[in-house]
Amino acid sequence: MGRNTGSQTLPAQSHVPGGWPIWVGIFSEMTEFAMMFVIYFIAKSHYPELFNEGPTKLNTLAGVLNTLVLLTSSYCVAKSMQAIRRDDTTACVRWLWLAIIAGAAYLLIKTWEYHWNETMGISKDTNTFFTVYYYTTFNHMLHVGWGSAAVLWAIFGVKRGSFTAQSHGGLEAVAVYWHMIDLAWIVIFPLLYVLR
Amino acid sequence: MFANKSIDFIWTQLMLLTLLSAFIAETADTGLAVIIIVAVTIGYKGRMIVDHFMELINANRYIRISMRLYFYVIPLMIVLAYLFPEAIVRMTTLQ
Repeated sequence: MGRNTGSQTLPAQSHVPGGWPIWVGIFSEMTEFAMMFVIYFIAKSHYPELFNEGPTKLNTLAGVLNTLVLLTSSYCVAKSMQAIRRDDTTACVRWLWLAIIAGAAYLLIKTWEYHWNETMGISKDTNTFFTVYYYTTFNHMLHVGWGSAAVLWAIFGVKRGSFTAQSHGGLEAVAVYWHMIDLAWIVIFPLLYVLR
Repeated sequence: MFANKSIDFIWTQLMLLTLLSAFIAETADTGLAVIIIVAVTIGYKGRMIVDHFMELINANRYIRISMRLYFYVIPLMIVLAYLFPEAIVRMTTLQ
């Protein structure tokens, strides 16, 4: 039985959102990001001056804007899940398009940030901090790219009628994967832009 | 209606916490207090997304516990890395 919270009925307890296969992928990706964070901690301990100075040279505005658009995209995907459970496919598609627009905004901001870095003379070879920064953020950027493609696939699925209030496991899988991408950035942003 | 409001409220909280982090980045010198604030913020934001956006608050307990644990361990590592950098250097230096 589902749990009723107002107008929304959440899935039954012990439900596996999106099914087990997507969680194998999510845990693999979370492990990959965790390894990057461990590398960050090790490198920071070895080169404290570089890691204290590095964030001051980055474009904080770009980091903040990217955090805001990613959180907003996650919010839009969560709203799309609420819409499909009401069988409101029009609202579902609208929220998913907004999520893609936010994803595209992230990619544009990140591209602008990389260009800005270049004009400031920053590259992956500048020092260890920037090597960690480029490796981590570029890897994350790739995830946003193919995550956006997955959301686009979900939109066509909703339009084809593949997802309904009763059956929407595929959409749920895309949603939890997209939230995972957001979760990785939740850690990356403070590590690279805030802590010094 | 409750679920809708809840997600809207959580999104607002997450946005405000991000702006707080940005404010800290631009103004504060890093010290233990700032490190703890940042670590707690990461833990809280992660927990909100895991519980409410991913909807794991009402899902399989093993997935829920694993995902929540991630956002306890990473903030703890941030604090430990700040407090004991020499220990990390010792453990990760080839003799």
